[in-house]
Amino acid sequence: MNQRNFLFAVLLLATYVLVPAVFGDNNYVMGLIISALIVAGIAIAWALLGNLGGMVSFGHAAFFGVGSYASALLTMKLGWPVLLAMPMAGLIAVLFSAAMLPALRLSGPYFALAILAYAQIFRILATEMDWLTQGAKGLSRIPTLPVLFGIDLGSRSGSYLVIVTLLAAFIACYAWVRRSHYGTALRAMHDSEQATRVVGVNSVMLKAWMLFLSAFMTGVIGAFNAHTINFLEPDYAFGGGWSVLPIVAAIFGGYRTLSGPVIGALCIYLIDQLLFKSLLPTGHQIMLGVLLAAMILFAPDGLLPLFRRRHA
Amino acid sequence: MLELANVTVQFGGLSAVKDVSLRMGSDEMVGLVGPNGAGKTTLFNVISGLVKPIHGRVLFDGVDVMHEPDYKRARLGLGRTFQIPQPMHELTVRENLVVAQRFGAGRVDAARIDEILELLQLTEQAGRDAATGLALQELKRLEVAKALATEPKLLLLDEVLAGLETQGKRLFMEKLREVHARYRIGILIIEHDIETISSLCPRVVVLDFGQIIADGTPQQVFNDPAVIRSYTGVEHA
Repeated sequence: MNQRNFLFAVLLLATYVLVPAVFGDNNYVMGLIISALIVAGIAIAWALLGNLGGMVSFGHAAFFGVGSYASALLTMKLGWPVLLAMPMAGLIAVLFSAAMLPALRLSGPYFALAILAYAQIFRILATEMDWLTQGAKGLSRIPTLPVLFGIDLGSRSGSYLVIVTLLAAFIACYAWVRRSHYGTALRAMHDSEQATRVVGVNSVMLKAWMLFLSAFMTGVIGAFNAHTINFLEPDYAFGGGWSVLPIVAAIFGGYRTLSGPVIGALCIYLIDQLLFKSLLPTGHQIMLGVLLAAMILFAPDGLLPLFRRRHA
Repeated sequence: MLELANVTVQFGGLSAVKDVSLRMGSDEMVGLVGPNGAGKTTLFNVISGLVKPIHGRVLFDGVDVMHEPDYKRARLGLGRTFQIPQPMHELTVRENLVVAQRFGAGRVDAARIDEILELLQLTEQAGRDAATGLALQELKRLEVAKALATEPKLLLLDEVLAGLETQGKRLFMEKLREVHARYRIGILIIEHDIETISSLCPRVVVLDFGQIIADGTPQQVFNDPAVIRSYTGVEHA
């Protein structure tokens, strides 16, 4: 195990133990941390698609919503165990993301707009297919996370362990892809797609894999969220916030780094909920916008690269 | 190894390449010359799969590759360079070659990459950023190195000597001869300078207004009245 992996393992272990030990009795704070980590999970998936796939997505709410509904329906209608339904929900999000494959030939703002439109289509479908989703009325009493090895995963501390495990798996997967030859080719494709194709790189296929991986991660996070809050309705599950907040988090933390999206999500979500919301109970998100604008102006690479530069 | 049969390319109403047929052997070194706008680069784009002709066939190693996309043609052994170098951004010189080898040849062989870097005098620059850290001559060599890393059977070189000063051009020509001799691959090279192409290629093909007007040894071709007319605009005395 190299030094970096060792550090990651130690940090992960500390994260597992310390947060429940310190805040375990405070449901409000644990709830906030879990919500921030949900945003972090989508932010990692978004950054993977943006950083490696070179695609800016405004439509991750689609994968989140599909994952939420898929897992809820698998458990409620078919009686699947929650821990089996969650990865299956990720795969169903992948299946739905395949509808976006034609958009991969687009680039820049055209791709961003196409994927935004897809997200709206899924929201409308979830509203209109009330025979399956119960439409605007929503799904309630979604099964909660089970008890596993004596740990109640449905409790705040248990849910925290699940979301941290998911995030650790996503970061490890992202790191592996980035280090591989596929990651190198993906990096090269951003500004020189033709140059990569003429040396044998199937750029469309590689971008498709990144889209699938990103959709899978987001779908699983959506499923986790559904089993944590136990209620879903289309405007919530496919809400624009699930597209926008992870982008803000990833850019704030540093979307080109592995842990930047997580740090960004924790910072912006907790600052927003604990500070801005108390200062400005209505429209507190405006302060997030100001914070992001300042970040883009003064540290466009994000918080983590800024911190590293200062300590270099 | 390469056979073009009645290839025609049109951009809008304009014919860029008209009914071009060409055969090339597996270890031939052929020069492709012609005035600006003659259709040379378009022909390269047809061979490498970047442009789809409206008519004709492209056979490579006996296989019809007309419906194969660009990246698959690279994997089949068609390596190419661009007139304006296109290094892979955000990667070092070595990483450019690793990607080319991994995806073009389907394997990673560090020794072979070192060999190509040494052959094209890029060893010292291997760790530099390819897009920002190289001079023009080095970028041109990187273009050839990338194409070589794919382990091609045929190398399409688009004006790799353009923009180089006399000494640089002479050294580059020596490198190309060495590449041809060492890897025993076919080379089809676009070049404007008649003297350069005459000394490098035993066979020259001349393209004008999208059509082949001459094909033969440099001596035969450059004494051909049609070629003289196309280059000078006047009839041969």
